[in-house]
Amino acid sequence: MSHIIAELFPPSTLRLFELIADVLIVLTTVSIVGVLTYTKKWVWLWREWLTSVDHKRIGIMYLIAALVMLFRGGVDALLLRTQLAFPNNHFLGPEHYDEIFTTHGTIMIFFMAMPFLFALFNVAVPLMIGARDVAFPRLNAVSFWLFAFGALLLNISFVIGGSPNAGWTAYPPLTELRFNPSVGENYYFLSLLIAGIGTTITGINFMVTILRMRAPGMTLMKMPMFVWTVLVTGALIIFAFPPLTVSLALTLFDRLFGSSFFTLGHGGMPMMFVNLFWLFGHPEVYIVVLPAFGIFSEVVPVFSDKKLYGYPIMVASVLAITVLSYGVWVHHFFTMGAGPGVNAFFGVSTMLIAIPTGVKIFNWVLTMWGGRIRFTVAMLWQLAFIPAFLIAGATGVLLATVPVDYQMHNSYFLIAHFHFALIGGTVFGVLSGMYYWWPKMFGYMLNERQGKVAFWLFFIGFLVTFVPQYMLGLEGMTRRMYTYPPGLGWSSLNLVSTIGAFTQGAGFLVIVYNVLWSMRYGERDLTGDPWNGRTLEWSIPSPAPEYNFAIVPVVHDRDAWWDMKQSGKSEAFKVKSSAIRPVHMPKRSAMPFLLGLSFFVVGFGMTFSWWVIAIIGGLGVLASLLYGAFDYDDFEELDPEVIRRTEAGLGRLQA
Amino acid sequence: MAHLSNQSHHAETPDHEDRIEIGSLTPHFQAHGFPWKQVLGYVASLLLTALAFVLVMNHVLPPTALIAVILVLAVLQAMLQLGVFMHLRESRGSAWQVIVLGLGFFMAAGLIIASVWIMMFKAGVS
Ligand code: HEM
Ligand SMILES: [Cu+2]
Repeated sequence: MSHIIAELFPPSTLRLFELIADVLIVLTTVSIVGVLTYTKKWVWLWREWLTSVDHKRIGIMYLIAALVMLFRGGVDALLLRTQLAFPNNHFLGPEHYDEIFTTHGTIMIFFMAMPFLFALFNVAVPLMIGARDVAFPRLNAVSFWLFAFGALLLNISFVIGGSPNAGWTAYPPLTELRFNPSVGENYYFLSLLIAGIGTTITGINFMVTILRMRAPGMTLMKMPMFVWTVLVTGALIIFAFPPLTVSLALTLFDRLFGSSFFTLGHGGMPMMFVNLFWLFGHPEVYIVVLPAFGIFSEVVPVFSDKKLYGYPIMVASVLAITVLSYGVWVHHFFTMGAGPGVNAFFGVSTMLIAIPTGVKIFNWVLTMWGGRIRFTVAMLWQLAFIPAFLIAGATGVLLATVPVDYQMHNSYFLIAHFHFALIGGTVFGVLSGMYYWWPKMFGYMLNERQGKVAFWLFFIGFLVTFVPQYMLGLEGMTRRMYTYPPGLGWSSLNLVSTIGAFTQGAGFLVIVYNVLWSMRYGERDLTGDPWNGRTLEWSIPSPAPEYNFAIVPVVHDRDAWWDMKQSGKSEAFKVKSSAIRPVHMPKRSAMPFLLGLSFFVVGFGMTFSWWVIAIIGGLGVLASLLYGAFDYDDFEELDPEVIRRTEAGLGRLQA
Repeated sequence: MAHLSNQSHHAETPDHEDRIEIGSLTPHFQAHGFPWKQVLGYVASLLLTALAFVLVMNHVLPPTALIAVILVLAVLQAMLQLGVFMHLRESRGSAWQVIVLGLGFFMAAGLIIASVWIMMFKAGVS
C-alpha cells in the first residue's frame, strides 16, 4: 500500500505549485459537481453534450477544452518567464523548470492549437459547404473524446506520478528508461498516442466530408478558401501522424518492454527517433498554420468588402505548401551532421517553401487594397498576423541557411522564431476565427470594445516578449536553460521579455472577461448574418438549428451567399413550407465517451505498468468498439413539423 | 466505415439531394448480415503480425532473410487491410483510388528513401 502511494505521489508532485494546483483542481471539481447536482443538470449534461454527435456541439466542446488548455499552457509560460526574469533566480529548480517547459510545449501544440483549430473545423466546415453534419458524426465524437481523455491523462501527470521532463520533442536518450526512470515520459507517450488516434480520424472525417458532402453546385473551385485549407490539412494529418505514432510507440516499447529501437546500447538508433519525429513535426507546423491561413482568407474579404484576390493562386499555393512541407524536415536537425549533401538539399527545399507563403501574403494585401476595411476584432488579429508572420518567415529562412543554423540552433533566436510563427500565425488565426464565428456558435456577438482592448494587450505583449528573445539568441542565450549568471548582457532583455509575457497574460484575462460579459450583455444576432458575410454559414440563423439547413442550398458562385444577396435571391432562403422534407439525423451515442474513458484507463494502467488496470481498460475499448460496430440503430428521422416550427419561429418560413 | 460504398445505392431513391448526403451517413451492415469477412480479416492481420514477431524474437533466420520475410509479411498485411477494411474495388470511381494509392506509395517511398539517405551518416560515425 505505502509503496503504491509512494509511486503515485513521488516528491516531485509535492512541491508548492503542484499542491496549490491540487487544491484548485479539487475545489473546482467539487464546485462543478455541486452546481450540477444542485441544479439537477447531470442528465442534461449527459444527453445534450457528453453523448452528442452534433458537429456544432462537438466544436463548442473542443473550443472550451482548447481555452482551458491555453490557460494551463499560459500559466506554465508565466512560471518559466518568472524564473528567467532575473539572473541566478531560484524561483524554480532545474528539474521543475524542465517539467514545465515540457508540458508547456506539449500542451500548447497538441492540446491547445490542434483542438482550437478542430473547434473551428467542426463549427464552420459543414455550414460552409451546405451539409447537415460531417461524414461520420459518431467518429467525430470519438475523435473529440480521445483528444479529451488524452489531454486529461497528460494533465494529471504533475499531480499523480510526476510530469514528463524531456521537452515536447522527447528525444532519446533523454527519454531512455535508464536515464529517466520516472513514469512522467510514459504519460507523454500514451497521451499523445491516444489523442493521435483521434486526430487521424478527424483528418479522414473532414477530408471525406469535404469531398463527398458539398451542396449541389459547389465544385472544388467554388469552395470557400477555409474549406480548401481544411481539406489539405486532412491530407497532411493522414501522412504526418503515422511516423509520430510509430516513433512514440517504439519508444514506449523501449521503456516498457525492454526493446532497443532508440536506446544508446544494443544497436539502438536514437537519431532515428529524431528523424521520425520531425518527419511528423514539420508537416505538423503546417497542420496548425494552414487552417489559420484559411481563416484569414475568410475574414479579409468580408471585412474589406471585396472578394478574395487571386483565389486560384491561393489554392495553388496551399497545394504547393502541402507537398513541399514533406521535403524539409531535416532543417530541425542540421546539426546532427548528416553531411553537406543532405543539409544542402534540405536547406534549399526549406527556402522554396517561403515562396508560396509569400504569394499568399501578397494575395491578402491585394484583397484589402482599395477595399472598405472595417476594423473589427477579427480583422485586427489578421492585420497583426501579416507583419508577425512575415518576421517569422524571414527568420525561418535565415535558420534554413545551414551555416547560420549551426550558430542559431536551439538558441533563443529559434524560440523567438517559432513563437512568432505559432502565436502570430496559429493563435492570432484561431482568435480571429473565434471572434468571427462566435455569433454563429452562440447567437450573440462578443463585445468589440473589450475585444479590442484584449487584442492590443496581447499583440503588444507578444512583441515585447519575443522581439527581445531574438536579441537574446544573437547574444548567445540557449533554450531550455533554467538560469543564467549576471554580466552577460542578458538580464535586462530577459526582464523585458517577462514583462511582455505578463502583458499577454493580461490580454488573455480580458478575453475571458469579454466572453463572460458578452454571455450576459452581448448583442444578440437576430439576422444570422451580422458581418454581411459571403459564405453559406451566414445564410442560416445564429445559432444554427440542429439540422443546419432546412433546405439544402444550391450554389452558383464562389461566394455563394454574397451571390444570392446580390442577385436578390436571398429571399429564396425563406423556406417554402411544402418543400420541407423529413431529415435523417445521427442519433446521440454513449459509445464515443465510453471509448475515450476506456482508453484513459488503458493509458493510466500502462503508465504505471499496472497491467490488470490496463487490461480492464482494454476490455472496455473492445466492448465499446463492438457495441459501436453492431449498433445499427444510429439514425433517427427529424419530423418536418419540428423544422417548420423552428423556421417559423425564426421568421424564415415563406408565407 | 463502409458508408461511402453505399452512396450510389441510396442516390437512386427519390428526394435525391437529401439522400446523397444521407447516403454517406446511413448504417449499412444490415444488408450484409454478420460481417464474417471483416472478422476473418482481423484475425488474419493479427496472425501475420504475430508471425513477424515470433520470427524476430526467436532469431530463426539470418538477418537479411529475416528482413526480407517481414517485409513480405508487411506487404501482405497492407493488401489485406486495403481489401477488407478500406473497401478497395468496392465503390465506383476506382480510377481515383488508383491515383490516390499511387500518390500514397510515392510519398511513402520518398520518405523512406530520404530517411535512409539521411541516416547513412551513421555508417561514418559508429
Ligand atoms: C504567453 C505566451 C507564451 C510565452 C510567454 C511562452 C514562453 C515560452 C518559454 C519561456 C519557453 C521555454 C524556453 C526554454 O526552452 O527555456 C517556451 C517554449 C515553447 N513554447 Fe511557448 N510561450 C508562449 C506561448 C506559446 C504558444 C501559443 C505556443 C504554441 C502554439 C507555444 C509553443 C512552445 C513550444 C513548442 C516550446 C518548446 C518547448 C520545448 O522546447 O520543450 N508557446 N515558450
Ligand atoms: Cu520545420
